[in-house]
Amino acid sequence: MIPHIMVHAVLQQAVAGFYTDLVTRPTGRAVRENIERDLPPATIAVMDFTGVGCLDYSCADEIVAKLVRDKVKVLLLRGLTDAHREAIEPVLAGAGLAVLCERADGVLEGLGASEPAPALLDELIERRLAARIPGGSIRLTAA
Amino acid sequence: MTRLIEVPTQFDDRSFDQFAAAYAQAADGERLLFDAHAAEWASPYGLVSLLAAGEAATRKGERPLLTVPANPDVVSYWARAGFFREAAELFEVHGKVPRAKVATESEVLLPVTPVRAAEDVHAVVSTIQQRASAILSSELGLDPKATMGFAMALSESCQNIVEHAGTGGWVAVQAYNWRRKLARRVVVIAVADAGVGFRHSLEATQAKRFGERWGDAAALEAALVQGVSRFRDPGRGQGLAGIRRYVARWEGKVAIRSGTARIAIVPRWDDDVPLKEGLPAFPGSQVLLIIPEQVAEKAGGSSKR
Repeated sequence: MIPHIMVHAVLQQAVAGFYTDLVTRPTGRAVRENIERDLPPATIAVMDFTGVGCLDYSCADEIVAKLVRDKVKVLLLRGLTDAHREAIEPVLAGAGLAVLCERADGVLEGLGASEPAPALLDELIERRLAARIPGGSIRLTAA
Repeated sequence: MTRLIEVPTQFDDRSFDQFAAAYAQAADGERLLFDAHAAEWASPYGLVSLLAAGEAATRKGERPLLTVPANPDVVSYWARAGFFREAAELFEVHGKVPRAKVATESEVLLPVTPVRAAEDVHAVVSTIQQRASAILSSELGLDPKATMGFAMALSESCQNIVEHAGTGGWVAVQAYNWRRKLARRVVVIAVADAGVGFRHSLEATQAKRFGERWGDAAALEAALVQGVSRFRDPGRGQGLAGIRRYVARWEGKVAIRSGTARIAIVPRWDDDVPLKEGLPAFPGSQVLLIIPEQVAEKAGGSSKR
């Protein structure tokens, strides 16, 4: 079973006050620590950003980059807006890290550094969590 | 003894050094009188920097004095921009201040707002998204997607205070017609604090690397150009790098003054210099972001989008 993380819900739990924006390092740290508590090490996890407003670079690093660097084996993001991608992409690329991102049409693609992304897709296919469909693109089979 | 410090009649980032030079001459223990009676206009940069000067002066000695602009339109505008709400805590204010409602007009996207903690940054980002999105896209011709980037840049600018200044600061965002330079509308973010400044913040981790070159200019260069941070955490230094990307994409400008130096990423439309050293010393850091109205290039000229 792949853990699903609803980031907006975690934000509400982790920080006092009703926020929809993921901004500032302390907020990012609180959200990440909340996520890490329930996450087994070296796992594959889905992180859903639906309902999250602004995501700044500090939070992108504090949450996404640090989870990829220290905690998860494959991180799959969904519910991303273009603005979320703009914050996450350079932060990951600068650190030589990558995540997978599920587009609105269900296709999976790498986000961040280009080198590690194919291995992440292979990992999902190997575990039969994703499959290549006619045309060559890759989608989740479950989750 | 009281030392008079004149507030420039047109108080913005260009005239700031004149103000800083007067401030730098003050000796410890002297009471300061900031004289704004002749002020005709102040940019958001001028307003937040004046508050930073007031805070620094309070720390050094007696509570400073401030004479308000004589022109009732000017003093009214400063009130609407939220300046006096903050100034009342820092200065002994002399002159009549109108009880104007803060930020009721479209050009004041964010009135002068204190930034002391992460919660303040959340409030600032939330406010700017509610107030600025329409203006950024309809008046400045920015892609609606860029408004979120604007909030990100604002967030990172404010976080510099929370994480590095060692004290609080202020932010203000305004939109106005910039006839002098561009004949276009611009949105300006100004952030100022009277904290430790970039050199002090980065000294422990960066001074050795720069050797004899180390100083305010080297610290600004390290932070803005090289993206270094005082934290050894590998993901640090993202904020200013992100701001640089944002202003580059929208042909904007970012300038940071700290201590005795000022660094700027200068767009094509501006004639500022990238780095200035040996400026009059001024406490903390002052950040300026300018995002201009976007124009579509046409054959034989350009047109506003």
